[in-house]
Amino acid sequence: MKRIPAVALREISSLFVSPVAYGVLTLYTLLAGFFFLLGVVGFLETLRQAQAFQAFDYLAQMNLNDALITPFLGSMSVVLIFVIPGVTMGLFASEKANGTDELLLTSPLTIWDIVLGKYLAVAIFVLLLGLLVGFFPAVLFRYGDPEVGKTLAGLLGLVLTGLAYAAVGCFASSVTRSQMIAFILAFVILLLLLIMGAVAELGAMGNAAWLEGFLGYLSVGEHFENLSKGLVDTVDLSYFFVVMATGLLLTKAAVETARWR
Amino acid sequence: MIEARGLSKRYGDLVAVDGVSFQVGPGEVVGFLGPNGAGKTTTMRMLTGFMPPTDGTALIDGHDVFADAQAARRAVGYLPEMPPLYPEMDVQGYLRYVATIHDVPRSERRAAVDRALERCGLTDVRRRLIGALSKGYRQRVGLAGAIVHAPPVLILDEPTVGLDPIQIQEIRSLIKALASGEGEHAVILSTHILAEVEAICGRVILIHRGRKVQDAPLSELTAGGRRLEEIFARETLRDEAAPDAAAAPAEDPR
Repeated sequence: MKRIPAVALREISSLFVSPVAYGVLTLYTLLAGFFFLLGVVGFLETLRQAQAFQAFDYLAQMNLNDALITPFLGSMSVVLIFVIPGVTMGLFASEKANGTDELLLTSPLTIWDIVLGKYLAVAIFVLLLGLLVGFFPAVLFRYGDPEVGKTLAGLLGLVLTGLAYAAVGCFASSVTRSQMIAFILAFVILLLLLIMGAVAELGAMGNAAWLEGFLGYLSVGEHFENLSKGLVDTVDLSYFFVVMATGLLLTKAAVETARWR
Repeated sequence: MIEARGLSKRYGDLVAVDGVSFQVGPGEVVGFLGPNGAGKTTTMRMLTGFMPPTDGTALIDGHDVFADAQAARRAVGYLPEMPPLYPEMDVQGYLRYVATIHDVPRSERRAAVDRALERCGLTDVRRRLIGALSKGYRQRVGLAGAIVHAPPVLILDEPTVGLDPIQIQEIRSLIKALASGEGEHAVILSTHILAEVEAICGRVILIHRGRKVQDAPLSELTAGGRRLEEIFARETLRDEAAPDAAAAPAEDPR
């Protein structure tokens, strides 16, 4: 167990000497700024029109959380499906390409030490992304009065989504020695996870309601939405942990079977 | 210190290593000889626990490499054919990491790293990035990584490949010093440079098509002025005329 931090520390320092980490952070922050600005402009426009039409009922309901923060975090969660694979693609693939897997697998490290160490490193990176995104809604507290709880629940949803995606990315990286393939594989799996809910909602399953419900459960969207609406429910929380655990177990299995080939 | 008991590795029909057994004691330097594809690297990978054998077992310092993997891995220093280096790390950072994952206690890590740097002549480049080093230096960093946790057993896969003559001399004397010095390491090194074996090994194990075909002290083999080249050629060319079904499964008509 004490070796996990050593693996994580090496992984983080490697992330930050390569341009990948800085590229990802810059891109993500820029996109956050773009979506946030878009949200603010849209919010003001809606406000102006509602005032012009004297829609007082609507104005009374309008708030920063529903009209600005929730959609903003939603966009940022979608962006994660190509940001996270960029961070995780090298985790295992580069070890294999470098031959350093021979160092790790002949050292006293257990496979869990390796997998969890690497995952811890990405998890810290995801928290950093969460902090960067959190800065934007935080600005709103200076000028308005959004709900603290709802905002934090949304950020929690974003971070949990990132953590679940990271576990999927770990797995994609563990089955190949090419970072490019790891990226594409992770992206495809995440895209499927994301659109599965939409497919279910379109009624493409005919009248197989159970299948619709199942696909809906598997899809990230619904769980993230609940959190960003401020509904912190164990069903939704458990979903993220299930994805995380599945990703990490599959990663461990993939690293282990590579040895037996 | 090192004990192989009937190690075999099969990939489907292909037999890479076939029932190899031997022992290596402390202070011994054994040369692992054989043509390319003979099974040297595969045998070493099984000894270090990187891959499991299909049959047989290996013991390192009395620990089974699979049943008692942690203890066995602490006891072995391994330099693979391609040194396992992170190009983005500096030399001392890399060695500190290798020491850490090999369970060297925090209080001894600095001394262990300094010792490995000094023994491999790396003190001057300790802060350089590994990716910026020449091939010879990288090989030495790999060797330093293999010895940083002071393992009693060293397994070196072609440790002098790609080095210039002076570097080769340095690495050879380092290996000799490791075997005879205070550590009394047991060393196995693979090579196909016969002169290397004559220079540093006390014993030769010759592998051909996955089988051990010769295992004797160097002095015995070269007694009476016989040359190692002749023995190597005789053992490896012996059955060239009769195609070995096990070694060429691709041509197996089915």
